[in-house]
Amino acid sequence: MPDTQKSVCEQRVFEEVFNTHSKTIRNFIYYKCGDSAQAEDLTQDAFVKLWNNCAKVPFEKAKSYLYTLANNAFLNEVAHKKVILKHQKSITSIASHESPEFVYREKEFKEELDRAIANLTEKQREVFLLNRIENKKYREISEMLGISVKAVEKRMHGALVSLRSEIKEFKK
Amino acid sequence: MEHQNNDTYLAKWLAGEMSDDELMEFKRTAEYKDYKFIVDVTGGLENPAYDQQKNFTATLNKINNQKNTTKIRTLIPRWAYAAAAAVVLFLGYSFFFQQTSFQTQLAEQTSFLLPDGSEVMLNADSEIAFKSFNWDSNRSLNLTGEAYFKVKKGSKFTVKTKEGTVAVLGTQFTVNSRNDFYNVTCFEGKVKVTSGKLNHILTPGNAISIQDNIATPYKTNEATPSWIAQESSFNEVAIYEVVTELERQYNITISGKKNLKTAYFTGRFSHTNLQQALTMVFDTMEIPYTFDANRNVRIQKYK
Repeated sequence: MPDTQKSVCEQRVFEEVFNTHSKTIRNFIYYKCGDSAQAEDLTQDAFVKLWNNCAKVPFEKAKSYLYTLANNAFLNEVAHKKVILKHQKSITSIASHESPEFVYREKEFKEELDRAIANLTEKQREVFLLNRIENKKYREISEMLGISVKAVEKRMHGALVSLRSEIKEFKK
Repeated sequence: MEHQNNDTYLAKWLAGEMSDDELMEFKRTAEYKDYKFIVDVTGGLENPAYDQQKNFTATLNKINNQKNTTKIRTLIPRWAYAAAAAVVLFLGYSFFFQQTSFQTQLAEQTSFLLPDGSEVMLNADSEIAFKSFNWDSNRSLNLTGEAYFKVKKGSKFTVKTKEGTVAVLGTQFTVNSRNDFYNVTCFEGKVKVTSGKLNHILTPGNAISIQDNIATPYKTNEATPSWIAQESSFNEVAIYEVVTELERQYNITISGKKNLKTAYFTGRFSHTNLQQALTMVFDTMEIPYTFDANRNVRIQKYK
């Protein structure tokens, strides 16, 4: 079936949209609020709204509609508190061939990294993590957030500068 | 360093968009090692686990719950009674007066049973309509196109067509009624064919073809019609009708039909190989034609 004929009102199509986008949206919100349970809750709410308005949202617009909904929900409901993102993967494998001293202090470093990421501005953090974790290209991120590629690059650059200032201190 | 003032060069570097010269220069700087380290470390980050199925179920629950809380159950509205009455009337109407119909598209055949168990096989691009109510005492149906009947013994069985009617008692026969072409073949029992003023009684192995009000009786050795065996057979049938049958069986359009000269075809063609069928019809009649990979057939002018 061509995409233009698909209706989000069909449960099969709705499920397909959910399976394609829900994880990325959850992560997108997670990068902002740092709470995976809350991110999942907001993501579910976005899909509920999509379902309620399925007749008005063409299939090809569903993705940007969902991002807008999720982003608005985040802005409306989440206090801009400091976020500490808990990343699951141990960094041992990458760090082990850096320096023995570093391996020894791995756990502390992980906390330091989490803190450094949390200290990024919300805008820097979402761009940085969408790129580093989701492997999104700058162009894709700019489409997701509705900003220019140049703005994405500035945020990315700013994020790296900020992380370096935090982590350099730690390394010494 | 020139990129000191540039506020996106780190982003360019990360995306691999730096020129070789810029990259060489950047690698020599003190901060390069730090940035490389940050990028290596953060490249291995992962998100907390995500259970898609669980989240989908939760979403569906939210959708269903909101419906229960926002929708107020109403008593049966008045229009529901009107609708129910309309449904009853409609069903009653359907039962007593509505016709049941079966239809085939081009290049398609179907078979079905009539209410008394009589069998019908419908050839391509044909339609049968009948009233199932009181079928046993009024076995009569309308046919457009071509069909094969295996009739159970019982009351008179009538096939009505635009060209005439066929009345039978327990028997097997085919009727082919298309524009200006009417053909009935009897395989078992006795068949009475009426077309205009013409009256004919067919016995097994006999067939009749009526074109332009001229009836041509002929004999057949077949036990069942050839099209049931994926073939169409003809006995002195106008070539135009044969070409039309080709179009029906293969769902193709044959152009240049106006080039056809009056001629009569006796023979058969297969429904499974277009190339072969075209050879059977056109080559035997010495009619020039073209046939390309897109199944476009064109009849050329000839003497």
